[in-house]
Amino acid sequence: MSEMKITILCCHYTNQATAEDFAGIPARIEIRRYPCSGKIEVADILRALEEDAEGVLVAGCEKSSCHNRSGSLRAEKRAEAARKILTEIGMEPERVQMAFVPRLETGVLVEATKGLFETLLDLKHRKEETSS
Amino acid sequence: MIIAERKPISRILDMIEPYERVAVLGCRGCVAICSAGGDREVEIVAAALRLARKRAGRPLSVVEETLVRQCDPEYLNGLEELRQKVEAVVSLACGVGVNLIADRYPDLRIYPGVDTSFYGANPALGEWEEKCRGCGDCILDLTGGLCPIARCAKNLLNGPCGGSQNGRCEIRPEVPCVWHQIYERLKARGELDRMMKLFPAKDWRPAGHDGPRARVRDDLKVG
Repeated sequence: MSEMKITILCCHYTNQATAEDFAGIPARIEIRRYPCSGKIEVADILRALEEDAEGVLVAGCEKSSCHNRSGSLRAEKRAEAARKILTEIGMEPERVQMAFVPRLETGVLVEATKGLFETLLDLKHRKEETSS
Repeated sequence: MIIAERKPISRILDMIEPYERVAVLGCRGCVAICSAGGDREVEIVAAALRLARKRAGRPLSVVEETLVRQCDPEYLNGLEELRQKVEAVVSLACGVGVNLIADRYPDLRIYPGVDTSFYGANPALGEWEEKCRGCGDCILDLTGGLCPIARCAKNLLNGPCGGSQNGRCEIRPEVPCVWHQIYERLKARGELDRMMKLFPAKDWRPAGHDGPRARVRDDLKVG
């Protein structure tokens, strides 16, 4: 089992996924739910990385179906702002990804998490190659 | 209000490189309104600094605080206690706040976390535009409320430079020529005669070219 930790910051409405849904991903998955993805701040994303997450997935409703109209669009901008800060401090911006997922479709969220996991794995391998 | 912009995190990291305990100090005045140095930005900068230093193997302890204003001594009293806890302070206030703290707390190492940019308006979310240069000798009564000092790249006082094209500035075509705007506005008001007033060479001393500016009002002073 990999020690990799992935934190998902998501809208409460987006999903009700449980640990079981992510059982196929060999990583420790932490889910933090917010009333709306528009409530997710840049600092929340950075703090998740501070707290040892190797990657953060910000998940909000599909652009056209946000419960609060534009919450997921705000979340997307904040994910982008967090990526810029990572670049400024020499971290790979790909560690933060945004996913727009249909409400309560756990499968799409799991797929997005898998995508992030693979990106992180790739970063890890590249790092190992560079240092060897 | 005063518009500021956060400095690159790498630059702030350089400033605090020797230290292990710092404070990131926000201001709830102008810099909070222009989203450069309020509570939210304090959280972001503090988290980014901690994250960077953790990755560098030199963990950083960061105190996060935001004052009502950093340009007013009555709100700085808490700094006495803060400076016992940290080795340095990164201020997200404008340069006024940093200077005032540096004046009053000579022993405190204070560093600027933002670049103070200009006096500006906030015409739309996420947009700020310079509207005043603080030149100390306002002539907006003669120019239809539009400032040729702040809004003309050449600070011209007697009409456009001749380089503007179709009402646009020759230096940056996305910027309207303010003298073109002034002309159109005064014409629409039937006040074109105001354009006939010739401004002599501007006295830049009230704009700060005579040294740091200060203002004293005895009627407001205590004692």
